[in-house]
Amino acid sequence: MKKSERFLQLAMAILLGFPLLAHAADAKHGGEVYAEACADCHSVKEGKAKKGPSMFGIVGRQAGTVADFNYSDAMRQSKLSWAPDQLSAFLKAPKQKVPGTKMKLDGDLNDAEIADLIAYLSSLH
Amino acid sequence: MINWLYTTLNARRIGLCLGMLLWAVGAFQSAWALPSYARQTGDECAACHVGAYGPQLTPHGMRFKLTGYADSNDQGIKIPLSGMVVASFERTAKALSAKPTAHTDTNNNTGMDEASLFLAGRIAPHVGSFIQATYSGTEHRASIDNSDIRAANTFKLGDLDAIVGISLNNNPGVQDPFNTLPVWGFPYASTELVPGYASPMLSGGLGQHVTGLTAYTMLNDSLYAEFGGYRSLSHGASIRLGVDDTGSSRVASNTYWRLAWMRNQRAYNWSVGLVGMNTGLKPDLTVSDIDRYKDIGIDANFQYLGNRQHIVTASTSYIRERQNLGATYAAGNSENDHNNLSRWQTTASYFYDQTWGFSSSLFRVRGSSDALLYTPADDSGSRIGSPNTNGYILQADWTPWGKENASSTPWPNLRIGLQYTGYTKFNGASTDYDGSGRKARDNNTTFLFIHTSF
Ligand code: HEC
Repeated sequence: MKKSERFLQLAMAILLGFPLLAHAADAKHGGEVYAEACADCHSVKEGKAKKGPSMFGIVGRQAGTVADFNYSDAMRQSKLSWAPDQLSAFLKAPKQKVPGTKMKLDGDLNDAEIADLIAYLSSLH
Repeated sequence: MINWLYTTLNARRIGLCLGMLLWAVGAFQSAWALPSYARQTGDECAACHVGAYGPQLTPHGMRFKLTGYADSNDQGIKIPLSGMVVASFERTAKALSAKPTAHTDTNNNTGMDEASLFLAGRIAPHVGSFIQATYSGTEHRASIDNSDIRAANTFKLGDLDAIVGISLNNNPGVQDPFNTLPVWGFPYASTELVPGYASPMLSGGLGQHVTGLTAYTMLNDSLYAEFGGYRSLSHGASIRLGVDDTGSSRVASNTYWRLAWMRNQRAYNWSVGLVGMNTGLKPDLTVSDIDRYKDIGIDANFQYLGNRQHIVTASTSYIRERQNLGATYAAGNSENDHNNLSRWQTTASYFYDQTWGFSSSLFRVRGSSDALLYTPADDSGSRIGSPNTNGYILQADWTPWGKENASSTPWPNLRIGLQYTGYTKFNGASTDYDGSGRKARDNNTTFLFIHTSF
């Protein structure tokens, strides 16, 4: 490959690729959002309870079903299943999606952050 | 409540003897990340503490403290006990002229500074404690250290989310959730085997000699307000708690207040605050005159936490004290009946991977000259009757555990640090400050410490 071609490819990648990449859910970035916004309260280790329940296998799990975790009644009775769209709605506004939940987020997450976060959570098996 | 505290402390002292067997000798003043809290909450030290070791709190840790050390993940019964052992090596640029304590040398002291036992954690729903009993390796003596018992609850009133609580504690400022005031401010570890300099009352001047009750609230994780007061421990209580009660000085009156505003933007957070304390002190019980100390302080704090890989924190505080020395002046022990004393400190830290920490700090003490209050004396005195002191602190530390992926979590935690304190002015001068030829920089101190808690 000629030098000029390689340069062209690089330029294309920067012009086209980056915006595309930014929209595609990025699990690695999701891991960083997790470290910033969730890890104080949620472990990714199976069965490890902190202030919140473990996030191991969360995507697809029934809400409020980690044995021994002391959920709010609201969460236990929500009958939600944590499919990506439900998770997304919950993370956007926890108290609206599950009124009475004891989970409290500091500051809002934007849509891109939530998408990346869910890509990361999907990897926790 | 108080009686209960004393009984508990006697039990602690027995446990303390066991802890003492572990190490040899040394000196110190300190504070901490308690593994019993980690066991109770399921949180690793790093969730609540910047750099994975106490005492610097993250917003998550502040909330744990403000809600009464009582949060728990409800996984089984947890015993609210922790221990801590501190060992160190200390060296000043020039040896002191006399041994700082009966069990230490004039320089190059190595050994165990202290062994502490903590009753730390939930006592009942919404009630918890941080009670420290310490055996000092330099003084060979056990006593009550910083302690804070609190009851707190959270309330929701419409959009208002409030934490409301009360704290029973023994050192004004020990109950504060910010790490800006001297009691919980940098340096979190230091040696007592070096000459000390004057500081306002709010720098722990009443520590352990008083008990106080304060009421506080945190509204919407933003507005913090606190009000309370302290009184002297009785003579009997001092003896039972192992607190020195040699002087006859007594607190005649005391009020403490605190206001702060904080914003937590998740990736970073900041706060600004005001603090005040008015203390009436009777230095001599046989006369009715009182010395009055009016402290007022301003402080600010910033933390960038991000994804916790690179953490940057900065804090500053300025405390100004107005002293109305009615009693000391009448007794002929001060030149002026009114003096000022102020203390300023600014600290910045960087932590990599919650493991490697680098901190630097500048401090400055300024005060009225008073030839009777600040008199010449070897090492610790002032030739020109001034408390003015300038210095800086540099520290590098290593905290291998305390993180979620560390195999030891939630058991032992460890921090090893190297600290250097330099003085450009000490008690009013840079050369011959004490009247015996000692230079300010002769007090420059290298301090290597190992903290373990379990
Ligand atoms: C301040 C602590 C805290 C933070 C921060 C936090 N959570 Fe939670 N989370 C909780 C608690 C407590 C619960 C249990 C809620 C209940 O029972 O009502 C919970 C529940 C959940 C649930 C439901 C779990 C189940 O088993 O049904 C999910 C999903 C969740 N959190 C995801 C997250 C994500 C993703 C983040 C980061 C954006 C996050 N949480 C941040 C405390 C927290």
